[in-house]
Amino acid sequence: MRHFSEVCALMRRKNKKQYALLAGCCFFSVLLITAYVCMMRAPTVLNVLPEGGDSRKQVMMIFTLAAIGCAVFTTYASGLFFRQKSRETGVFLALGASRAQIRGELYRELGAISLGSCAAGAVLGGPLAWMLWQLFRLCVVDTEEMRLVFDPSAYVLSLAFSVFVIAMMFLLGSRSVRRTNIIDIVQESHKSEPIRDVPRWYGFIGIGLLALGAFLGYMSSAFFVQVLHWYPPEGLTAVFYLPALIGLYMMLLHTVVNGWNGKRKLYKDLIATSQMRFQGRQTVRNMLVMTLLIAGAYFGSFYTPTMGTGAMIGYDARPVDYVYHFRADQDIPLEDEVRALAEEYGVTITDFAAAPMVRLAVDGDDRIEEEGPMGVTWRKEYQEVMQSELFLSASGYEALTGERVDLASGEIRGVLDAEGSKLLFDPSKSLVTNYLTKERLPVTALGPLRYDSLFGRNVMNDEDFARLGAGLPEEWRETQVCFNVENCGATYDFAKALFNEIVDRSTEDVARYDSWDPVVRDRDIAKEGFYFLDPEYLEEAGFSKIDYAQRDSSAFRLGWQYMPEFRVLDKADFVKTAAVFLILFVFIAVVCFAAVFVIAYTRCLTIALTNRKVYDDLRHLGASNAYLRRSVRGQVKRVFLVPALAGTGLIYAFYVMVMYFNGSPPGITYSEAAGLLMALLVIAAVSALMYGVYRLTLAQVCRALDIRRQGGA
Amino acid sequence: MLTVENLHKSYQVGKTSYEVLKGVSLHVGKGEFVAVMGPSGSGKTTLLNCISCYIPADSGRLRLGKTELARLGEDALAEVRNKQLGFVFQDFLLLDGLTVRQNILLPAIIGGVVSDMTEARADQLCEVFGIGGIRDKYPAEISGGEKQRTAVARALINHPLLILADEPTGNLDSKSTRAVIRSFEQAKSALEATIFMVTHDSYAASFCDRVVILRDGVVWRELEKGTTDREKFQDLLLDAVREMGRE
Repeated sequence: MRHFSEVCALMRRKNKKQYALLAGCCFFSVLLITAYVCMMRAPTVLNVLPEGGDSRKQVMMIFTLAAIGCAVFTTYASGLFFRQKSRETGVFLALGASRAQIRGELYRELGAISLGSCAAGAVLGGPLAWMLWQLFRLCVVDTEEMRLVFDPSAYVLSLAFSVFVIAMMFLLGSRSVRRTNIIDIVQESHKSEPIRDVPRWYGFIGIGLLALGAFLGYMSSAFFVQVLHWYPPEGLTAVFYLPALIGLYMMLLHTVVNGWNGKRKLYKDLIATSQMRFQGRQTVRNMLVMTLLIAGAYFGSFYTPTMGTGAMIGYDARPVDYVYHFRADQDIPLEDEVRALAEEYGVTITDFAAAPMVRLAVDGDDRIEEEGPMGVTWRKEYQEVMQSELFLSASGYEALTGERVDLASGEIRGVLDAEGSKLLFDPSKSLVTNYLTKERLPVTALGPLRYDSLFGRNVMNDEDFARLGAGLPEEWRETQVCFNVENCGATYDFAKALFNEIVDRSTEDVARYDSWDPVVRDRDIAKEGFYFLDPEYLEEAGFSKIDYAQRDSSAFRLGWQYMPEFRVLDKADFVKTAAVFLILFVFIAVVCFAAVFVIAYTRCLTIALTNRKVYDDLRHLGASNAYLRRSVRGQVKRVFLVPALAGTGLIYAFYVMVMYFNGSPPGITYSEAAGLLMALLVIAAVSALMYGVYRLTLAQVCRALDIRRQGGA
Repeated sequence: MLTVENLHKSYQVGKTSYEVLKGVSLHVGKGEFVAVMGPSGSGKTTLLNCISCYIPADSGRLRLGKTELARLGEDALAEVRNKQLGFVFQDFLLLDGLTVRQNILLPAIIGGVVSDMTEARADQLCEVFGIGGIRDKYPAEISGGEKQRTAVARALINHPLLILADEPTGNLDSKSTRAVIRSFEQAKSALEATIFMVTHDSYAASFCDRVVILRDGVVWRELEKGTTDREKFQDLLLDAVREMGRE
């Protein structure tokens, strides 16, 4: 061995675990980001997440969080690597190696590690996303909509992240060599990070700020829009979350520096607490990132169970097995044909009811938006003809539901769902108009009816119904059908056949988005020159086109105005319908949790490295392995437990708040409560996994510090 | 060989500045074995670190042979450390991934001057310091005394003008301490090495030709061994330390 490069090669061999950890972290982060980006930018996913929609915003927000998480853990892994390497670098410098000599070798190593691992991560990220997707298709659902197509431009983001990783590694490497003080480098592994005293009130004020920030952040948007009638610029509402971030930092700082036990356990936790205190700054920053990632990961994880539970409960709560409606000019199967089809499939229809409906214009407050110096504001303007709604006669309603409704002329009742949500339908109105004949009827809205399957309809007495509906052509008339079957769960094939029949026999004229409204259309065209829900503008407005050929897609099933509600079909196809959402959010959760585990692991190993000398000293003072282990556990536990508790508590409380304020009127519905319960089960499962990683990390740290479970040191 | 003139060095801790060296001056001649003693905080290690150019001095002159160390650029300093200085650290600072022989050769490898002769010299140093039998072992497999003798051999591989040793016996038991001191004596007698050692240990210092005692950042006293026998010289050193404690 005669050359410096040969010495470096030997050192690499000796420290191959450190090199493997660094390369692994780079590879892992680029792999996750590439897979995430490939999935997120895939046209398959983008079609399902409408432009500007909440889902896409959430996915982007969590992606940003995941990218920050991956960037942080790669940076920490690099920091750990250079910290471990610092002794070797210090010895070389002390023995007369020039910085250029060391830098040359280091850059060669970093080049190989960073380029190799980033390239491998970027190349394999796409296939990983594809494999996960295919696995999902194979095991859970396989629809036409689920065919994953990649957009090559996704690799631009992957490349950008790889460039960050490579640049960051070279920057940290260059900095580690550039240090002028060799003594610092030689002793770097014993350096601690001092922290200023933290007043004890930080903890409680932190929690207060956290709660305040979460509340303000969530409510500010509604406050601006509903109270001030002003649409705030993008990003302004995010500012209101800042107190939450500051509060979280204060709370974590208090937890690390002071702890919550007061002086009761001062001596029991002395070593763990004091060691954590002297690595406070880094530890708190670590915990902050971990807390946010855990919160983001849970946000992704909760999506599937809460959505699934809510949907399943909704399907079960429907009072009728089969419900559909169609425009009167459409040739859609009615009782005879339905019964014949049922017989073909061996299905017994127990009751069948159909009732006519008319589409009438109703009054209401229009939201007039105006561009001003402060941005866009809005004001209410009463419109006698605001939009159209479907009306049933009292006898029609009774035929469908079996419930008798007595209404005098000029009285109407809206139909809400069983939980009485008014979020998507306001049953109060005072004027009903035949849009074509201009026949008007001032009305009094009585207390709403409750019937899930007829949500959004209105009921008026038979005479008013006949008078107001007179003169309306078939395009303004519809038929509502409800029927039950025996042994509903076994009628999937029949349901599918009937659904296909309805779709096949519907004309292009009714291939319309759910909230398409002829009254609003006329007004919009008069004002703007176009109607954004017309098929030709639909995609531009961020919605998917209603395409009968894509009848199994979520876009079709969630968007078509005349989508039948067949309990057995909806229940069985729920996963199919929501598949893209499900896999995307599951993947997001996987990425965020993976980042959390790597950050916690690298942080704990850093603690081990930093404390090696302290533990040697404690051993010299007669500390037993059990004592040392307890002290290590105290620190490792805090790294895992504090962010886990904070992140979990934070997001769960936020979720409860969102659920509570999401409804109109505010409150937690039965299905929301069930969803929250499911979220608790997810927390239990993830916590068990986290505990496993914690135990593994604890064992690794003890091994690094030569602390054995039994026997002498 | 080594001349230190009016050396000053301060450390900044928060807003407070602590002056550790307050004008230290001393000279080490060629072939001398000099120790620096003094209580904790007297500035011994800081002085050594300044001489090694590991940390920059605030003011004063440092001359090694004909070279003014303070004027050297980074690369030239690295060359001085590699070719003209040899280092022995309290914690040995051997690289775990290299064998004893490879560790000894390391300064030569860094300097890019490994030849058959260098390898033969490494083997010779192993024999001189009694570590020939462990030359292919790794640091984790040898004792503290053997590690420190390896470090002494490493310090000598490039024929340095001066060996700088920082508490070389601080982590060793008495048997290993004797072995390491013996290796310094051998280096001095057989290899004509000049040694500048910082130590707390009056036993180790009693083997030196001269002992410089620092107190509060200045040279408090210098004691020459001359023809005094070692045990008596150690008594003199202990008396001096006691006297310093009384003042």
